[in-house]
Amino acid sequence: MSAAMLLRHLWRRHGAALLLLAAGAAFFQWAITQVVPEASQTGFVRELFDMAPAPVRVLFGEELVANLSARGFLGFAYVHPFPLILLGIWAVRVATGALAGEIGRGTMDLIASRPVARAAQVAAAAVAVCAGLAVISAAAWGGTAVGLAQRPLEGVAAADLLPVAGMGLLLFTSAGAVALLISARSREGGPAVSWCAGLLATSYVLDYLARVWSVIAFLRPLSLFRYYEPQRILREGVAGADVAVLSAVGAAALALAFVSFDRRDL
Amino acid sequence: MPPTAPALSSDGLSKHFGPVHALQDLSLRIEQGEVFGFLGPNGAGKTTTIRLLLGLLAPTSGTATVLGETVALGRARWRTDVGYLPGEVAFWPGLSGRQTLNFLARLARRPPVDRPALLERMGLDAATLSRHVHTYSDGMKQKLGLVQALQCRPRLALLDEPTKGLDPLVQQAFYELVGDARRQGMTLLISSHVLTEVERLCDRVAMLRLGKLVFAGDVEEIRRVQRRRVVATFGGDVDHQALAHFGVVIDATPQRVELLVAQQELPALVARLGMLPLADLVVEPPSLEEAFLERYR
Repeated sequence: MSAAMLLRHLWRRHGAALLLLAAGAAFFQWAITQVVPEASQTGFVRELFDMAPAPVRVLFGEELVANLSARGFLGFAYVHPFPLILLGIWAVRVATGALAGEIGRGTMDLIASRPVARAAQVAAAAVAVCAGLAVISAAAWGGTAVGLAQRPLEGVAAADLLPVAGMGLLLFTSAGAVALLISARSREGGPAVSWCAGLLATSYVLDYLARVWSVIAFLRPLSLFRYYEPQRILREGVAGADVAVLSAVGAAALALAFVSFDRRDL
Repeated sequence: MPPTAPALSSDGLSKHFGPVHALQDLSLRIEQGEVFGFLGPNGAGKTTTIRLLLGLLAPTSGTATVLGETVALGRARWRTDVGYLPGEVAFWPGLSGRQTLNFLARLARRPPVDRPALLERMGLDAATLSRHVHTYSDGMKQKLGLVQALQCRPRLALLDEPTKGLDPLVQQAFYELVGDARRQGMTLLISSHVLTEVERLCDRVAMLRLGKLVFAGDVEEIRRVQRRRVVATFGGDVDHQALAHFGVVIDATPQRVELLVAQQELPALVARLGMLPLADLVVEPPSLEEAFLERYR
């Protein structure tokens, strides 16, 4: 019951931001479907990519460069920094705002002095993070679906992108759980945001560098982004191991967040 | 909870923040229906004590019982009967005053039966409550803080610096409000460093200094043990050394002596003064402030 009230409270505070982020994700994916080159237009683009250095081709994705298909382009749109930033903003904003933010602002005293279990506070934040990420992911896929309905592309259906959106949701749910753990152990919202954003950015950069620089390739499994490869999902389907790793990281971080917040001084 | 059980008690309660001993070995008992004052300068440990009693902090050692239940970080149920005003009250800037009160009342799981009366006493009208809290002055936030703490008629209210930022008229309204709460049988713990306020409102007080309990007892008891200030004015020159053994001479001229005298010494002093050319005699009742300052010097 307390968790439901806290959820309503979080919605009141973050609802407008969620609508904006979802609209941004939907518009971006819709726009991509409108600019994807058709098969007849890809020759020139292929020549351009062939001239590009290897790190740039890695950045855009192997499927895109190899096949220059609409599927490749659409897959790339799901690993583009813009939708990733939108999902990251939500995960970090809600996770840090709900616990560390309340403590730093001084409003945690008002909540924690009432008959509200600390676990309910963590649970409400976790549900808000997951639900918001689901809304943004669904909006992104909706943008793709609407775009493809307006402009059908050869060899790709909106349903093909559903597992990609689902894995993006799982990736950021896992990152959100880590953010919740950081928030549960912090005294101020600002430093918690910095830590979360820093970790996400580091994880993203590590994944990219490990792909283009063989010397540090062994570090790639340490990045959460290693387990989210839209073009591979489109080609081979979702890998069970990726789901397992992201789920395990998310579950472990969430469990630690519950324990940490329950035992700490407020 | 049995009617004879204390509303609140602590046994050897201590809290250390690293090398800082914020509270040391506090043992206290507050009865049901009592208005209890918690005195001490900034950093004495008043807020730490209240936060320990609410289960916001885990004690380094010792235990506390509130409304018959042992305080622990994870336990939440007993807080249904507790109202709390933080020392640094803060709200969600994007919420209106009314939304804030509604949200906090729902979390308390008790109907806000006293809200209309409290709003009237605090002078918070409907238009004010419709505004976002970020437009409120500090005084208005403090009023809203008092309303949220007491609106659900808790059995125990912990008020940390309740009159901070309130103008004298609203302070008066707060004093009346405490009177109402007392009549309803509510137990109040009021933390303050405004001595006159505590003296006026509280049945008993505890004084803290550097995290240690310096004194706990009745306000009347403190006054009684506190030395009176006696000012004797004479029609001629008097040797003040003749009066020195009755108390402590704090100021003396040939025709005027000011001294601090214990209550039991007063009859003998008056008798001795009667033998001198006494022109005027003033015996000031001791104030809590004097007791406070004497213990903190």
